[in-house]
Amino acid sequence: MERFKQNLLAIPILVWIGIFVGIPLIFVVVISFASRDSLGNIVWEFSLDNYKRMLDPIYLRVFLNSFLLAVLTGVVTLVIGYPVAYITANLPPKKRALSLGLIMLPFWISSLLRTYGWVILLGNSGIINNALMALGIIDQPLPMMYRFGTTLVGTAYMLIPFAIIAVFNSVDKLDRSLLEASYDLGASRVQTFWRITLPLTIPGIAGGFTLVFIPSLGLFFISDLLGGGRTIFLGNLINTQVTRGRNRPLGAAFAVGMFVLVLLVIAIYARTVKENREGLFG
Amino acid sequence: MMKIRNSRFGVFYLSLFFVVLYFPVISVILYSFNASSSTAQWTGFTLDWYRQLFADRVIGAAFRVSVQVAIITSLVSAVLGTATAVIAMWVSRGMKRTIQGFMLLPLLVPEVALGISLLFFFNTLGLPFGRLTLVLSHSLFCVPYVYIMVQLRLQEIDKSILESARDLGATRWQMVKTIILPLVAPSILTASLLALALSLDDVVISTYMSGPKTTTLPVHIFSMMRVGVTPKVNALCTLILVGTFFIVGLSQIISKRQKQ
Repeated sequence: MERFKQNLLAIPILVWIGIFVGIPLIFVVVISFASRDSLGNIVWEFSLDNYKRMLDPIYLRVFLNSFLLAVLTGVVTLVIGYPVAYITANLPPKKRALSLGLIMLPFWISSLLRTYGWVILLGNSGIINNALMALGIIDQPLPMMYRFGTTLVGTAYMLIPFAIIAVFNSVDKLDRSLLEASYDLGASRVQTFWRITLPLTIPGIAGGFTLVFIPSLGLFFISDLLGGGRTIFLGNLINTQVTRGRNRPLGAAFAVGMFVLVLLVIAIYARTVKENREGLFG
Repeated sequence: MMKIRNSRFGVFYLSLFFVVLYFPVISVILYSFNASSSTAQWTGFTLDWYRQLFADRVIGAAFRVSVQVAIITSLVSAVLGTATAVIAMWVSRGMKRTIQGFMLLPLLVPEVALGISLLFFFNTLGLPFGRLTLVLSHSLFCVPYVYIMVQLRLQEIDKSILESARDLGATRWQMVKTIILPLVAPSILTASLLALALSLDDVVISTYMSGPKTTTLPVHIFSMMRVGVTPKVNALCTLILVGTFFIVGLSQIISKRQKQ
């Protein structure tokens, strides 16, 4: 009975999220089946036109770009971040706390500042080009801005702390006696890593990938500032359709497409965790 | 017990990583003091960009909106997030999982999608876009963070203390007031500061939630950055960074003093 009363206390918070997240998301799905008139007003007539338009090769290309960006961001952050997490977990307590602090400090630094830093570094008259030209390594500035890779650098840079923290939690929970046993049995560091550490930290890898993949789909300001709109991603497309393009139903349909990508990666994550019996939050 | 030590290469890699992680940030700060408006060369130290900043009325107005929204958001999130974490201590297993799932939902939806869905929703409700919609939307992604951080601290609390309090006849509310809240207070403080920083930093959702006269600072900065590179942006970003670090540092000092 008491438990029941306690459960009731939790209802308001569920209702709050339901109203402000659940209902708006359903709204997006509903609007994606509507169309618009010449003034940009929504016309409530059921049609599949928006979804048919999505099959246009130009738009399919946008999906592919976004998917590639998200997957590569996940891979890059994990390849660079895994060693960071692993090394940090093995540091003595004081240094470990310092390292963790430095990994998480960027959360407190404006994301626009962190993106803008790359504009200053990679621009034609940016720091890197200046340095290389001053050293006489190149005569002409290397065109590093406004490429797919530039957006990838910015997105991975923004999200890498999430990947590191997820892997760190996994490495930290690792049973050290297993590693000792492996060394005692004569395995080298490399063998121990590949055959024991890595398989046991798969939940952390999967968690980190998911935590990086999802936001990378929606950070349109990074591809705007660093990609210069040359490669079009889902986030930019949704943003322009809804704001300047005045085609909310089409924007909504692309958002639904984005949900599908998110659900896909969550499903993969859930399967990986089920096989490994360990969740993202313990 | 055998210690698993890092190789020298490992420590080198870690140091290199931190250099790359902070290099872009430090570049922005450095070039806010550059007399030349281009990053092509360093022509001398100046505070001109900061002077221009303080003379800019639009930035001042956007700054005020952002600070107001961030403070209210962080208060709302601190209360809601903590309350949810405390309530979740005593609910049934199924309810606990439901709460977890609901709390993760706003974080699992990419920001653009959440932003436009709220835009459609508030539009239909006829809510005027401005401080209210900004606080409502920012709370959605701030409450989960407070919940997660407070909940992690709650898990560390020694359950036997609560049991003995209960044996001595304490009600739930008394336990919350006299034992739980004082124990999690530092986490609540850190979490609400994180909420403050997240709200102050949000670009994507604020793009859709801002009203015609209530643009937030990041939305304004974003439009400045799109127009082109100017050290004024560097100066503004540097000031925000200094402000955030000042508040965070101060709160750390306060919470350490209180512990003693």
